[in-house]
Amino acid sequence: MTAALRTRGLVKRYGRTLAVAGVDLEIAPGEIFGLVGPNGAGKTTTIRMLATLLPPSAGEAEICGYDIARQPDSVRRVIGYMPDTFGVYDDMRVWEYLDFFARCYGISAARRRQMVGDLLDLVDLAAKREDYVQALSRGMQQRLCLAHALVHDPQVLLLDEPASGLDPRARMELRELLRELSTLGKTIVISSHILPELEELCTAVAIIDRGRVLAAGPVEQIQARFRHGSVARARVLGDAEAIVAAQRFLAAQPEVASVEILPDGRLELALPGDEEASAVLLSRTVSNGHRVASFAPAASDLEELFLQITAIDEETAA
Amino acid sequence: MTTDQLPGPQRSRLPSGLRSFWAGISAVSTKELRGRMRGRRAFVVVTIYLLLLSLFAFGVYQLLQESAAQRSQWAFDGAVPEDGFSRGFVSGPVSAEIGHALFSGIVVVQTLLILVLAPAFTSGAISMEREKQTLELLITTPLSTLGMVVGKLLSALAYVFLLVVASIPLMSIVFAFGGVGPEDLLRAYLLLFAVAFGVGAIGLFMSALVGRTQIATVLSYVIVLGLTIGTVATHTYLLATSDRDDEGNFLPVEERRQVPEALLWLNPLVADLDLICITVPTGYHFTCSYISTVTGRPYFGDSFGGPMAQPAGMAVECMPNGECFAVDPVGAGIDPAGAAADIEEDLGLGFARDLFWPRTAGAFMALGVALTLLSTQLIAPSRRLRRRQRSALRPLDEPSASAAEVQP
Repeated sequence: MTAALRTRGLVKRYGRTLAVAGVDLEIAPGEIFGLVGPNGAGKTTTIRMLATLLPPSAGEAEICGYDIARQPDSVRRVIGYMPDTFGVYDDMRVWEYLDFFARCYGISAARRRQMVGDLLDLVDLAAKREDYVQALSRGMQQRLCLAHALVHDPQVLLLDEPASGLDPRARMELRELLRELSTLGKTIVISSHILPELEELCTAVAIIDRGRVLAAGPVEQIQARFRHGSVARARVLGDAEAIVAAQRFLAAQPEVASVEILPDGRLELALPGDEEASAVLLSRTVSNGHRVASFAPAASDLEELFLQITAIDEETAA
Repeated sequence: MTTDQLPGPQRSRLPSGLRSFWAGISAVSTKELRGRMRGRRAFVVVTIYLLLLSLFAFGVYQLLQESAAQRSQWAFDGAVPEDGFSRGFVSGPVSAEIGHALFSGIVVVQTLLILVLAPAFTSGAISMEREKQTLELLITTPLSTLGMVVGKLLSALAYVFLLVVASIPLMSIVFAFGGVGPEDLLRAYLLLFAVAFGVGAIGLFMSALVGRTQIATVLSYVIVLGLTIGTVATHTYLLATSDRDDEGNFLPVEERRQVPEALLWLNPLVADLDLICITVPTGYHFTCSYISTVTGRPYFGDSFGGPMAQPAGMAVECMPNGECFAVDPVGAGIDPAGAAADIEEDLGLGFARDLFWPRTAGAFMALGVALTLLSTQLIAPSRRLRRRQRSALRPLDEPSASAAEVQP
């Protein structure tokens, strides 16, 4: 099967500044693809080019086989776009908002009526059907905007920072919604600078900084390529003595570079090896009678990875 | 739900283009009208407008009746009819005069209304979408930009048209007084619609050109002021100086410069004067002499005849019933019927009807179409820029070169 979305050397230049400096991406159908990068990395510019809002300065991109520069109308029919900042019309009810966009796609009246109901159910806004759009909360507006991107049943969703400004609960609901859409067979491209959010959701990510893709692929692959060791945290049950004993035991193991006791009583381990080595270490620790209650990578894996990769990039750039 | 209803890119080019044009008009105007007509506001405005217009018409009626009563008093006293006609004539056309004055007043008021309202409704059409960050959502739909722009313009004008159409019953009062026929009303409404379209398009264009609604509104009104007051001022100045040379000396008649009347084509108020002149029931009227000055064609109005052009080398005399005859000034006597036929034949010299206002209507329609198309270009960034980019197609940058450029 061909890629749902492919870019080759996509460049966007604003005068002398280069917002996007040659992005190559290949996203398979049904993937949830994360674009990760700090603010100003070129994520939004890339998505806006893919959404046919900005003409690329150079390079090309195609979505579902349609070229974004030569066949923008065809591209617009297969994408659903949700911008990072968007407004809503005054004087419009929730159902009218969706009905309006459905009309824009030339969908017949009978189908519109049914689809507006379905979409409102999907984004959990059925109860707000007759409310005015501007009176909705930010999270509801965000869900409504997502629903608007779905009126024409697009194959590819381009979501620019869909979770920004949402409270944790709304964020979790959004994640559930995106997973549901993914099971419906949609390809989802999602940008964010909030890394943990993408880590749980995405099947693959591209790490972007200063307009270039530093790494792309499934999260594990990127980890395998860039990671030289990891940091894990372990909680060992028992009194202070038991913890100190565990620390001594761990420090003596060949898989462990160093062990420290954190103020909250957990142990932080520097592990130079891969996950295989971690598994061996854990099973040996447990079989030696240490009561390990948790053993997990520290903080966000992706976040750490991201910091590592961008740090490498900065070193080479300097 | 069947698959053939699905919006598919595989459809042929022209019908899908037409369909997205139509989808644009219907989607955008439905949305806009839903917003505008929601609640009581829209209907309260219509009511207030009609009340004001009725008050105005009533005022005109009172005023004219008073002056008519005075004049018929003079007629009885024998102060006026030195022209040999009976007092019955003098009081006769009073009713037509009231009809004409009502017609004139309502036409001018409605024109002013359109000049004020049309830009107000359209100058936010595009810039509001920009300000509220909703334009991008629209652009990523397959709507044709032309359909979208036309939908915006039509829905904004629909409300102005509603006001204008709502005034038709009131305007029909003039039929009760006579002197103004249905064809005169038709002319007036044709002109009003053309002006609304053109002025609405000015607001729309400004809205697409500048990002902010306030600035777009102000610029639109500046242009409207320029079209109404500015053109007349310029025309008057040129006219006043047309008979002098650069040193201020008077020029002989044949060397006087002709002031181009096209300068006033886009002035809806001058076109109103033309409409008013056409319907003048009796005697001399200042509107006719002004239009005559503008077009350079003589209007011949004596005390009884309607606005007339004077055939070259002939005098025209009109009877109280409005029938006019060409009269040989030397008194040699020519066949009046034949001369009248000549007048009819040569439109330029006959009744100078429909001389000016159709140009105004045409000019506003043309302006409207041009500005609508220009607005389309302004809000379709990718389409416009893509063309520019294709013309200056550059080879792909080397990735290393691009990376180097990022460095501060």
